[in-house]
Amino acid sequence: MNDLIVQTITRLLVPFIQLYGVFIVINGHLSPGGGFAGGAILGASIVLYTLAFGLEKGNEKMPHKVSSKLEAGGILFFVTIGLIATFFGYNLLTNKEMGMPMGTLGNVLSGGIIPLITIAIGMKVASTIATLFHTMIEE
Amino acid sequence: MIDYTHFPIYLLLVLLISAVIIPLVNKRYNRNARGMIVGAMGIALLLAVITLIQVYLHGSFVYNFGSWASNVGIQFVIDDFSALMTFVIVLLSLLIIIYSIRDVEHEIHPKQLLGYYCLVFLLVFSMIGITLTNDLFNLYVFMEILSLTSCGIISIKRNKENLLASFRYLMLGTIGSISVLLGIALIYMVTGQLNMTEIFYSIDVAWELYPRNLLLSLGFIIVGFGIKAAIFPLHSWLPDAHSNAPSPSSALLSGLVVKVYIFAIIKVLFRTMNENIIIDAIGLNEYLLYFAAVGMIMGSVFAIGQKDIKRMLAYSSVAQLGYIFLGVGLATTEGLSAAFFHVISHALMKSALFLSAGAIIYKTEKRKIKDLAGIGYEMPITLIVFSIAALGMIGIPGISGFMTKWYLALAVLEAGRPLFLVVILLSSFLNAIYYLPIIVSAFLKPREDGSEEMTRDGIPRSMTMPMLIIAGLTLLLGIFPQVVMNIIERAVPTFL
Amino acid sequence: MMNFVIENINFIGAIILFAIGLYTVLTHPNLIKKIIGINIMETSVFLFFVSIGYIAGGRAPIITEGLAIGSYVNPLPSAMILTGIVVAVSITAYALSIIVKIHEAYGTLELDEIMKMRGGEND
Repeated sequence: MNDLIVQTITRLLVPFIQLYGVFIVINGHLSPGGGFAGGAILGASIVLYTLAFGLEKGNEKMPHKVSSKLEAGGILFFVTIGLIATFFGYNLLTNKEMGMPMGTLGNVLSGGIIPLITIAIGMKVASTIATLFHTMIEE
Repeated sequence: MIDYTHFPIYLLLVLLISAVIIPLVNKRYNRNARGMIVGAMGIALLLAVITLIQVYLHGSFVYNFGSWASNVGIQFVIDDFSALMTFVIVLLSLLIIIYSIRDVEHEIHPKQLLGYYCLVFLLVFSMIGITLTNDLFNLYVFMEILSLTSCGIISIKRNKENLLASFRYLMLGTIGSISVLLGIALIYMVTGQLNMTEIFYSIDVAWELYPRNLLLSLGFIIVGFGIKAAIFPLHSWLPDAHSNAPSPSSALLSGLVVKVYIFAIIKVLFRTMNENIIIDAIGLNEYLLYFAAVGMIMGSVFAIGQKDIKRMLAYSSVAQLGYIFLGVGLATTEGLSAAFFHVISHALMKSALFLSAGAIIYKTEKRKIKDLAGIGYEMPITLIVFSIAALGMIGIPGISGFMTKWYLALAVLEAGRPLFLVVILLSSFLNAIYYLPIIVSAFLKPREDGSEEMTRDGIPRSMTMPMLIIAGLTLLLGIFPQVVMNIIERAVPTFL
Repeated sequence: MMNFVIENINFIGAIILFAIGLYTVLTHPNLIKKIIGINIMETSVFLFFVSIGYIAGGRAPIITEGLAIGSYVNPLPSAMILTGIVVAVSITAYALSIIVKIHEAYGTLELDEIMKMRGGEND
């Protein structure tokens, strides 16, 4: 659509939506949210941009190559973090017994591998929602 | 020494990583891509073989994710039958993928071939996950991945009938999954655990206090899994979905996917609840027995009237699944052993049938049965594979189908129900009615153009090799069934 | 009787929604309504599952400094339903994309008209 009001408001709002999504992803182990919810919000911001400005500009911001590499990168990141524990002799995805730094309670940098896994999930969900929307609109 | 306990996890991770990387690295479906696909499956087969040998020599073992205790975290249990079933799944998938490398170029648009193999790898990943897991909610998640990818490999060929068949499969499959989730919620409400062995320890107390919850949850779980595993009245999606799909997809779906759901029913029923509840209190196995018997006969009756060869094979699957449910419904040691043996032997035979039907369609584009007269002279190797597998379905001695009917008949007689022996024999007779005309007319009638010479098959060697290997395995199982029955008989007492 | 209904209102609500969803999937001929029926069924099961973990008078299950440890609501069902919601979203997305292709191929979205068009092809 080419409405001026929608495009202006979208241009103002998208950074805040993405900031909020990143906040939910990073605080996944301290408050409700986590990977799925934060990733969905990040994906929704890209969908909003594509709806307001049209498919070509949406494809410029998130081209198909970048989103497919982000998706694969999310899964590989998750698997690599899980495999680190097997190299030391413990089972997959071990957190505390392996000696990952736990940090103090309530801090952002605490909880071992949990923030890293949350970031991997957030990346993957966001790129999946953007890819799904672009693929369905191209038809 | 290398720690073998991690090998099942490495197997799952190899499949997951190759599903993600192979479409990313290759831009087109060229020789590199084909080599990587077969190579990844080969590594998976090697890991599965090592796991099977490990379990056979040293006994079963348990793998806790994240080193959490067993009532807190997710657990994988790798015992005898799980390792054997994983090996069969990976072996059959490797053979079907080798077959499909040349076959799919004719059926699917070239841009989607890499996506097709991504879906196939995720399918095998989720099947192995269902086989190995010991946690109820983990089972649900793997089941959803399996449902989505199996709908995906049907609808990747953009025909009109394919799309509608895949939509119906998706709708009915999702109803099944939701029922299973409701059943899991009812069990979790009463026992507070999600680990299957922990539920087993606390189920007696729960049965005293809340019998209605457990009754409802068993009902929902059996109906839910029954829709996906095609128990008789809930099988209406199966003929459309399995007959319209591309041939390697039909072989994968009919040979492996429905069996994995039956194995999931057996795991949930026998590992969480003990015999008193199932047999004495509810009498669940009676219902399974009667539905299985009706399914065996009605499946064959429907198959007799079909004109398209793949639709006939799909209805025949419904009948053969009735055999497996008959074995499960008896709920004795011999019954379960016969059911497990038929799971493996039917997977081999049905894959051989679908692959040879696919080869006939590849070469001659004929699907109706009456067009297949005299085709034995044109494609002898394919029709020999078809005949071996079809004779096994009927029950001729020497092929593994005969051994499963033998074990099943012994189990039925030992449980003291001679009525079902009559049903088994009647169903074998009905099988013969629709398989024998094809074999007879293929070899004994003259060809349509009148010539009578035998030519070699005009199909590539990568398609004939897997068919011959599967037919050879069927004959091997028929002559030496002890190889597999040893492992099965060691595994069954852990269930009952 | 009214006491029974008010105490178990979450279970009764979940079962009624499940029945409504099942009826919609099985009987309505429009394909999009079938997808909506599946979504209603999934919502009912999620509602049932989440309401199991509730303890009357419990707090949200987050440990904060300074507050004494009291009784917490069970966090496990919520985590499981998060995964379930993602599965439901993917099934809806896949089903809608198949519907787009069916509309291109047949030109209509009503199931009885599609079956009439296919009627002559099957045995």
